[in-house]
Order: sequence, then structure tokens, then C-alpha cells
Amino acid sequence: PFKRYVEIGRVALVNYGKDYGKLVVIVDVIDQNRALVDAPDMVRTQMNFKRLSLTDITIDIKRVPKKKTLIAAMEAADVKNKWENSSWGRKLIVQKRRASLNDFDRFKLMLAKIKRAGLVKQELAKLKKQTTA
Amino acid sequence: MKTILSADTMDIPDEVKIKIKAKIIEVEGPRGKLTRNFKHLNLDFQLITDEATGKKKLKIESWFGSRKTTAAIRTALSHVENLIKGVTKGYRYKMRFVYAHFPINASITNTNKSIEIRNFLGEKKVRKVDMLGGVSIVRSEKVKDELILDGNDIELVSRSAALINQKCHVKNKDIRKFLDGIYVSEKGTIVEEE
Repeated sequence: PFKRYVEIGRVALVNYGKDYGKLVVIVDVIDQNRALVDAPDMVRTQMNFKRLSLTDITIDIKRVPKKKTLIAAMEAADVKNKWENSSWGRKLIVQKRRASLNDFDRFKLMLAKIKRAGLVKQELAKLKKQTTA
Repeated sequence: MKTILSADTMDIPDEVKIKIKAKIIEVEGPRGKLTRNFKHLNLDFQLITDEATGKKKLKIESWFGSRKTTAAIRTALSHVENLIKGVTKGYRYKMRFVYAHFPINASITNTNKSIEIRNFLGEKKVRKVDMLGGVSIVRSEKVKDELILDGNDIELVSRSAALINQKCHVKNKDIRKFLDGIYVSEKGTIVEEE
């Protein structure tokens, strides 16, 4: 029933607080509710598990590695690419893009949607004609 | 305090087939099929195959459980054990009539599914007890004043025995002196192990 475990090396997504949206690695477990968490671009801090969403990605590290070893391990496991190619990661990227559209972009998006809907309706009409004929 | 993980396993014999879906356990064996719903418990049930011996096991896990939920693991295993036993060996409860002066007159009606009790303590009242589903009752031939209840589900068999016992309570008398009644004398299985 549980497939993603809290372990040293588990990559998690911060879902609340100052570092919202960041990918961090669990480097140590402090007690039942808190973990020591680290990422290449932030100071090593403690975080409550409730602020983390576990991902499928793990990296191979020992307890509390130095920043250099952590970065090397993340490169070796190719965390960035694995995340950006995963469906969860792709969805987040799309959400961010949609949130950062300006008005002109939204206009272009509307035209593109109308065009796509038109093409889909054309194909549907062709198929309908085939089945009734 | 919350215990992070507590788990327990039990062996499943080869003759029974177990299906687990969403905390509803279905056990099928030579004597029939039994189901039990464990949705009131907060436990994870899973079937695993032991690597070393290749036998099937049932594993029950409790994540972040209090003392009470951790205790429920072993009771759930015992319930499943009873299901398996019921479906392979069956349950046979024997009850004896106990009376000092008035012979208890019992007749089995309705194709072994209910019992009528007359003349308990000389009373005119006729007590009728219907057996629960899947439980059959029969008067033992060789032994005087004995009832035999047979069934697959231990809960139903023991509850039927309790219903018969409770129908024959003595009222308004000193129960240390008036010891009449129908009492469970033996709890065993139908298929005997030699």
C-alpha cells in the first residue's frame, strides 16, 4: 500500500512555506515529524514532513553529506531530468507557464484553442459521415 | 506514542484460497466459502509469497498506530485463522442438557435448522430457537441429552449456541441451587485430527 518511503536520499517537493515548489533531498530524519532537508541552492534546514510531498526519485547518499557530495550525487542520479520528464514535473511546468501568461499570450492561446477545436470537429464530422453512410 | 510500523504475518495452508480486496477477506476451502469485512480496522492487508519456502503468507501492517490499533493486528490474524479453520475443518459445538427433576424435551424441526425446547423446569412455555445461517443442529444419538451444532463460521455457530443457552435461563430463583439449563460442553472441529 505504500510505495514511497521517507528515507535518506528521497527527493521531495516542498508544498508549503518559504521554499514552496522546490525539490529537496531528505538527508536525515530528526524525529517522527521532522526531517533535515537539503538542496543545491539552499541552506540545510529542518522541515516538517507535512510540508513535503514525496516523489518517486531517490539518490544514493549517506547520512548528511557535504554540499559537494550532495550535488555530485544529484548529478549522478540525474534528478533534474528525471523530474522534468515525469508526468508530475511536466504538469508543474505547464501550470507555471499558464500562470505567467500575459494578456497577449492569453489571446494567442484563445486563437490556438479555437483553431484546434475546429480541426477536431472537422475530423469528427468526417467520421460521422462515414458511419452513417 | 505512535509506533511507526508494526506488522505480523501468518501462514496460509495450501488447500485454502484467499482473496483480499479492500479489506474484505474471502476464504475458500473444501467445506465452503466464508467472507469477512475488516473495513472498521485501519490496517493494511496483503498476501505475500515467502521467498525461502515458497508458501503463501498473509501480512498485516499498521502504520503510525496507537497501542489499540497495534493490538488489532493479532486479533485480525486470529479472525482469519478462524475463517481458515472453519473452511477446512468446520466447527462443532456440543451442548448438554442439565436438569434436576424436569427432563428437558427438545425436538429438532425445520430440517435441522431450529430447535423447540419444552418442559424446561416444568414450565408450559415452549422455547423456539432458530439457528443462524449455515449452522445445523442435531440431537446426538449415542450420548443422552446432547446437542451438536455444526457450521463453518465460528461466529455463527457460537452465537447459535449462546442463543440456546440464553433461552434457558432460570428466573426468580436462586441460580446456585437451580442449575438447570443447556450448557456448552465442548468446542471443537468437525473434521478430527488424529
